[in-house]
Formats: sequence, structure tokens, C-alpha cells
Amino acid sequence: MLHAAPDRYDADNKARSGPGLWQMALPLLNRLTGSTGLSLAVLGVGNIGSVHLKSAVAMSGVEVAAAADAVPENRTRAERAGVSRTYDDYGTLLESEELDAAVVALPPFLHADAVERAAEAGVDVFVEKPLARSTEEADRLLETAREAGIAVGVDHTLRYQPDVAGVKEAYDEGSVGHVPYASITRLNDHPLGRPPAREAPPEWPTDPDAAGGGSLFELGIHCFDVLEWLFGDLEVRDAAMGRTLDTEAEDAATVLVEAPETGTTITLHCGTYQWEQLPEVNTRLRLEGVTGTISNRDHLPGNFYAGAATSALSNLASRLTGDDPDVFGPTFYLQAHYDALADFCTAIREGERPPIDGADGRRALALAERAYDLAAERGESNAAADDLETPEVSP
Amino acid sequence: MSTAPVRAAAVDGADRRGWVPDIDARMAALESPVRDVLGPALETLADADRITVVPDAHYPFHPSSGIVTDPAVVGSVVARLERRTDAEIAVAGASDERISFDRTAAYLGYASLLERFDATLVDLADDARTEEVCAIDERPIPLSVPDRLVESRVVVVPSLRPTEDGPVAGAMRTLGSLVECDAAPSRAPVAATRVLDPAVAVLDATIAYGGDPVAANTLFAGSADAVDAVATSLLGRSIESDDALETVRGDEGPVAVDGADVDLERLRDRIPTGGLPPADDTHPALSAAYRVYAAVAGDAVPPQLEGGR
Repeated sequence: MLHAAPDRYDADNKARSGPGLWQMALPLLNRLTGSTGLSLAVLGVGNIGSVHLKSAVAMSGVEVAAAADAVPENRTRAERAGVSRTYDDYGTLLESEELDAAVVALPPFLHADAVERAAEAGVDVFVEKPLARSTEEADRLLETAREAGIAVGVDHTLRYQPDVAGVKEAYDEGSVGHVPYASITRLNDHPLGRPPAREAPPEWPTDPDAAGGGSLFELGIHCFDVLEWLFGDLEVRDAAMGRTLDTEAEDAATVLVEAPETGTTITLHCGTYQWEQLPEVNTRLRLEGVTGTISNRDHLPGNFYAGAATSALSNLASRLTGDDPDVFGPTFYLQAHYDALADFCTAIREGERPPIDGADGRRALALAERAYDLAAERGESNAAADDLETPEVSP
Repeated sequence: MSTAPVRAAAVDGADRRGWVPDIDARMAALESPVRDVLGPALETLADADRITVVPDAHYPFHPSSGIVTDPAVVGSVVARLERRTDAEIAVAGASDERISFDRTAAYLGYASLLERFDATLVDLADDARTEEVCAIDERPIPLSVPDRLVESRVVVVPSLRPTEDGPVAGAMRTLGSLVECDAAPSRAPVAATRVLDPAVAVLDATIAYGGDPVAANTLFAGSADAVDAVATSLLGRSIESDDALETVRGDEGPVAVDGADVDLERLRDRIPTGGLPPADDTHPALSAAYRVYAAVAGDAVPPQLEGGR
């Protein structure tokens, strides 16, 4: 069981905390369960939940105690990955297992409930993005966590990708001087995929009530996190939402953002309309500076397969020397998920604040909500303009 | 099997800049070519009580990809049928294990499209079925057919794209996907086409897909097998490599195509001849190589690379 200090989190757990508070070592030395490592469960073993599960299974100092999923095939997949106990209900899992932490990889409409159940059990949580379906729901979730004294980490992985980290390093080194303009684009084909159609697409991603929004919540929220990581506080100036199909949720979003501290104007575009053929991933980040451009493409292996082969050879060498492999080494975008979870687990083990916490997740939600509001205002404004009668003009 | 020529009509794409999302604009451009290609078929439909229009709406892929029939083509066909017949008209598809037809139709815009017509949307998966037997090469092929299709004249509107196995999706396979038949995959399209005897097949070649989409801006109409033969040629396939089509067409010669404003040779040159993307998230060879690497190096296999295991 956990023995977290009840005052681990500040009053509302959503404003940025002063660094001094979080840099203090917290008195949590005895908070781990009696197991040899961090005892962890994975709630939801769909696609991304499976990545988290495999990451955790391969992580030294972490013991995957159990997994939960309502879908029998997903439970079988978890068992095949090495999990000895699986549940069809995450509530039962949390009541039954002795845990230190849980990964919440459920659809967004279950995040708040899962965190509440975890809070009742005193279990720290690593929540898949978006943290919640709204800032209002996030506030309730974080208040519950604060009252229970559990830590909340959020899986904003883009900043863990080597190409994005490379951009930040180059920017922080001042390699292109002042950056008046930046752009970020993230596209994929979730949930409908590309032909040939094989699997039943889940309904929740296209249902704003279940997901909180459309592609802006699915992908844009990652972009907001990266932009804030790069440029500091952000202000959303304008936004437009698009639908390529007759879906309730948008599958395209374009947002105009300003970063006052760095004087940077940014365009953000995200969409779930573009077919994706892995290993190609359509993430573009460009910083246009005074002396040149920083692009994430310059921080990727020139050839995915060559980079993967290098990583694979490195891991094979590690095997021979008895060292741990870089998990998901050849696939940088999945290795980013591993690294994000590993950082969370390290923070929990050491009694520190998760490196990307609930406040970070809540701020990304607030930016997305502001973009929705501005897009709605623009829509109302356009509709009003359409309703205006054209005045008759006499020659 | 009809020996009548396939009719072709170009859709004016000169003013287009890429895909036009406005379905009204697309339907306006399609009005004349639909009238041209449907011409003679309307005579056979004049006395029909019920007409069922069957598009390729197997999954909500975007119509600009060419992987499904453009709802604007279906809307234009329905508009023409409503103008020239008194029949009760439906647009039909079927739910399957992947996705409900209602959801596919809604995403593709059929629900809002049909609000402007008297035509209705029908999910054939909910329909009662009639057991039929069709003889192919003197062997009886039993099949179960939705009553709606049995009791109406059928207008099938396929897209111009390949199937996962290689041959064209075509009119016959679009119909074959709506019947239950335990025979070999090459037999069901033949049996379905013979039992349903569609009044006309309208090939939506406004956007063709052959590994990449291309704006082909053309409609074809004729018998199901003749239209499929044209589609096979346009996608660079041979009739001999398509068991279903060869069964129906046998030793029939080339299909005649009438359409003064359509340059078939140029069209054939423009349309790529590739297939659908690979079924796995990643290329199968990459998935297999990754699994070998992971086993040796002690790394985890991403779920996308598990190869359907």
C-alpha cells in the first residue's frame, strides 16, 4: 500500500507549482509495496495500453501485477505479454491488488472514474492523454487525487521523441536565434484507418461526449504540450475546425497560437483524416529563426530502417554484455512511450512529482477548449454574416 | 450477358482544383454525364415498382480516395431515377462484423444526402432473406439473398478500385458482398449477379484508385460484367486473372465503349495499376523481421507489429 503524504499536491493541483515545492525530496521512502519493485497495473489493454504494458513488463524495477480490460481478446493479449492476473473490470482489479501505481489507458470517458477508484485504493496513476474530457472534469479528477494524496502523471509523449527533443535542444542552444514563427503538424488515421478495412473501429473517438472532442483532443493536445514545453505560456488567438466526413467530432483542426514570452507566433494543425503507413509518422515541427530553420526532420534517422538496424544491433550487443536493451529501440515513437512511463515510475519510486503531471495535462486541455470556443465564435460570426441581407445599392 | 456497348461520359473537371467537398457542386457536375450514361437503362426501369441503388459503401473511407463510391454519384443517379420513374427508391448497403451500415452511411453523408429525396436508406443485414440456387458451370450454387434485392430492380454503382486480392471490386463483387454464399469467393459474385440481374451497373470512375487515387472524371454504364471488364482493363488487370469475370464473359471479345468525349487510352495511361495498401499496420516483412530481432535482442514487440497474432 502507499503511504503518500497527504499534502503532496498544492491547493488546486492545476496551477504551476513553484519549483521549490517540487524539488524537495518527499518523505516517501516507505511508500512502495513490499514487492521487489514498483507494483503496477495497466487499466485498458487496447492498442496504446498494450504498448504501456509491454513497456512496463520490460522495465527493470517494475513488476506488472495485473491488467484489466473489458474485451476478452485484450486480456488474452495481456496474458501473452506475461501478466499473470487479468480482470474484466478495472474497479475489481484496484480493489483486489496491492499496487503502487496504475496506468490508465482507458477511453477518456473512463479516466475520471478510474482515477477516483485508484484514489480510493491509494494508487498513483499515469493517465493516457487527454487527461479528461474537459477542464471541469480534470479539476474534479485532480481534486480527488489531491485529497487522496496520489500522484497524477499524463502520457504526453511527443516531447520524449528524439526528433522533438532534438528541436528543443537546438532551440535552447540558440542555434537559429530569435524564432518569430513556428509550425507544428500531427496527422494520422485514427480510428478509421486505411484500406483494407479489417477491424471494427471504436465509436468513442468520434463521439465528443465520450472523447471530449475530436482530433484536437486526440492529437492537438500533444502539440500544445510540446509548444508550451518549447515556448512557455501560450495564448490561443484563433481556430478553425474541419470535418472531412459527416462525423460529430472534428477530424481536422487548425489553431493560431502566440507565445508572449518568446514572441513566437505558431500555427498548429492536427487531423485524423490522413492514412498512416507505419513506420512513417506524419509529425512536423519547424521553428523559423533569424539565422535558419530547426526542423524535427533533421533530428530523425535519415532512413528509418537504417536507424532501426543500428538500434537493433545496439540491443543485440547489450544482450551479449548482459545490459538491458532499449525497449522498443528501433521504433522511436514507441520508445517515447516507454521513456515517458519510465520517467513516471522513477518519480514515483523516488517520491518526486511526475515530470509531466496533472497540471500539465490540465493546461493542454484548457488550450484546446479555448480553441473550440474561438472556432465556435467564428462559426457563429460567419453564420450571422450569411444571414445579413445584401443591401441594395443604387447606381 | 448483354452484348450492348458500355456507355461512357466525361465529368467536367476542368474547373476543379483538387477534390470539391461541396456535394451540391459535385452533383451539379454529374447531372449531365449521369443522364448520358443512364439513357437506355431508364427504359428498362420505367415500369419498376421498386429500385434499389447499391453503391460501394463498404467502409467510411473518404470518397476522394476512390476506395468507395462518391455519394454525389449516387445522389445524381437517385435524382435521375426519381425524375424519370415512379418507383420507390432505396440506397442499400449491409452492416458487417466491422461496422454498421448506418454508421458508414452517416459518415459518408448518405443520411443527409437522402434528406433531399424520397429515397430511403436500407441496411440489408436487417432484411429477410430468400434462398436461391444458381447454376454455374452446371453446378448448383445455393445463396441467401436479401428480399429487398429480390423484389426490386437493382442499380449497382461500384467504385473503380482493386480488391485486397487483386481483381477489381466492380459491380459483381459489390453485389456478391450482399449475399450469403458458401461457394468459393469467385463464385459468389457470379451467382449474385445472375440471381439479381441488375438493370444497369454505373461505374464511378470520377476518382479511381490503383495504389494512389487519380481524378479520372468519368462514368461508365452497362451490364455488370461489361462494366467490370472495362474496370479490369483500366486498372491494368487481365480478365483471365479474374475467375469470376472469366466465368461470366468466357470467350467474349473486348467490350465496346461508346463515349465520344472519353479517351480510353489516355485514361488507362493515367490510372495507376497498383493494389490496396498492405493489410498490416506495417509491411509484413518488417513485422516478421522485427519479431525475429525482438526474440534475439530481448526487446518488446509493438502491438502494431504482432502480425495479427
